[in-house]
Amino acid sequence: MGDFDIGAVTRRGFLASGVGATFAAGAPARAEGRSLQSLTLTAAASRAMLRGPGEPDTGLWTYDGVEPGPLIRLRQGRPARIEVNNGLPEETTVHWHGVRVPNAMDGVPGLTQPPIPPGGRFTYEFTPPDAGTFWYHSHDDGLVQIGRGLVGPLIVEEATAVAVDRDLPWMFGDWRLRADGELAAGFGNMMEDAMAGHVGGLVTLNGRAEAVQPVRAGERVRIRLINGALARMMALRFEGHRPLVVAFDGQPCEPFEPADGRLTLGPAMRIDVVLDMTGTTGRRYRVVDDFYDGLAYVAATLAYSPEVATSPARPREPVVLPPNPLPAPDLASAERRDIVIQGGMMGGGGMMGLGGMGGKATPGLGGGAVWAINGMSMTGDGAAGMAPLMTFKRGRSVVLTLKNRTAWWHPMHLHGHSFRVLTRNGVAVPHRQWQDTVLLAPRDAVECAFVADNPGDWMLHCHVMNHQVSGLMTVLRVA
Amino acid sequence: MMKSIRTAATLAFAAFAPAALAAPTHAILWKNPQCSCCEAYAAYMKAHGFDIALKPTNDLTQISAKAGVPADMEGCHTMFIDGYAFDGLVPADIVRKVLAERPQIAGVTLPGMPTGAPGMPGTKAGPLKIYAFTKDGRPPFVYAVE
Repeated sequence: MGDFDIGAVTRRGFLASGVGATFAAGAPARAEGRSLQSLTLTAAASRAMLRGPGEPDTGLWTYDGVEPGPLIRLRQGRPARIEVNNGLPEETTVHWHGVRVPNAMDGVPGLTQPPIPPGGRFTYEFTPPDAGTFWYHSHDDGLVQIGRGLVGPLIVEEATAVAVDRDLPWMFGDWRLRADGELAAGFGNMMEDAMAGHVGGLVTLNGRAEAVQPVRAGERVRIRLINGALARMMALRFEGHRPLVVAFDGQPCEPFEPADGRLTLGPAMRIDVVLDMTGTTGRRYRVVDDFYDGLAYVAATLAYSPEVATSPARPREPVVLPPNPLPAPDLASAERRDIVIQGGMMGGGGMMGLGGMGGKATPGLGGGAVWAINGMSMTGDGAAGMAPLMTFKRGRSVVLTLKNRTAWWHPMHLHGHSFRVLTRNGVAVPHRQWQDTVLLAPRDAVECAFVADNPGDWMLHCHVMNHQVSGLMTVLRVA
Repeated sequence: MMKSIRTAATLAFAAFAPAALAAPTHAILWKNPQCSCCEAYAAYMKAHGFDIALKPTNDLTQISAKAGVPADMEGCHTMFIDGYAFDGLVPADIVRKVLAERPQIAGVTLPGMPTGAPGMPGTKAGPLKIYAFTKDGRPPFVYAVE
């Protein structure tokens, strides 16, 4: 159970039972002189007690029967082999979100691999170049498969351990349940697709609602926040505490305390924070999510044990994570391109704002696509033969300006690369933020720079899954 | 952008507010927390003598489904008055008509967010069709055209 083993605590809401097996780094096999990390995942139907014992459970699709899927811990720079078995009634793939994998291991159906048929199997092999907080999820029929629970946390460990007392992955999920505990029918409709997507009413942390995290006064913890929801945005505040942000999307940043104490995470985004447990023994502190006006709620609770941590007193120096081997883009010579996000309700100039889209999408309800990138809508989850919107020469520095011309929020995810967020609405973004998923508020414009060094056809899409499947997706080629 | 739309809508509709009305009709309007046209619509309804309580929710789909709104005819918000559901940007005179006639229906809906509807900028591309729906399995039918 690794870091999640918090002993015999079984009370409803505590984090222990929400997380299943942990794959620690490295079964003792050897390959190419380095230890090979080998494991198996099986996607299949199962049931989970999202609301806790004594409440109706929920039929889900999960990896290895647990929600979220098992915590995978890999070692940076060591080859990994992950065999995925498909026990679902439909095709599937797995995407290793944020890990800079070879294109053929990226898990996009049709585009990078044939989908895994029911009863079939695919072995993913890659060597994670970067240490940090990542996650894995289905990339086939993603609105339904992620919506039914096919997600899990993936941690790539630094070569040398980071000086914290405990390492706590916090993966959030968001569910719309019926009174009998089952998932409400349908993950999208035209209105939801064109607005904020399928946002649920029950938020879980590591698979459990009303989660309580036991802590001890005096300890220093690293919390890896992962938004694994279909569509829900989060803005977390730790009452009575001062989280230090040390990484975005797995990539270390210059550590800083957010001015307003809010940690904003769109779907698929991750933030690593270091938290000194400066609260009072025996007390409880709320972690509040107040992203949506008028809908604040308690996303988690920190519960201090009556004892003080027994770890030896040591100087509390700021935690600085070791850098990852990211190539630095050359801004002076970079190729500059615009990515314009269009469509949705209140898109301006009409009901949907999808002007000049060509034959594929009709502005208005019933037209299929409701979003577009640069005037073109690619719907679904990926397919063979998707023509790239842009092609970049391998090794080229690229600056993309993402322009949100819609009235809605979009977490935009680029596969195969991490990018540095340079500016937002013309203002320099501080703290050296590298991300694989950048959140755009309505009307935002964000400049992102990266070196197109990973050859292949890569998805660029919104991670509000309703938006992706209804047109907010494109392909960038590196060749 | 959104704020200016709202302000403009408020001013425009205030000009048409009926001079004298009886006690305002109470309404509860469930809206997506990020949708601003619902607020423009609420301002329009207030100007027409309705007392609107705005309630943000991420669960509009379930609220409208429970109210009987057909899944493919959802509006952008759901409002409840006096036992009837009004889904989407239904004009105030149609709301009054339902409340006066008290038909045997669960409510009415204006699907989508057509331009020129109350709360939306722009001019109407065509007549607004307001559909009535029931909970007894009868298919929705056109209740009014504006």
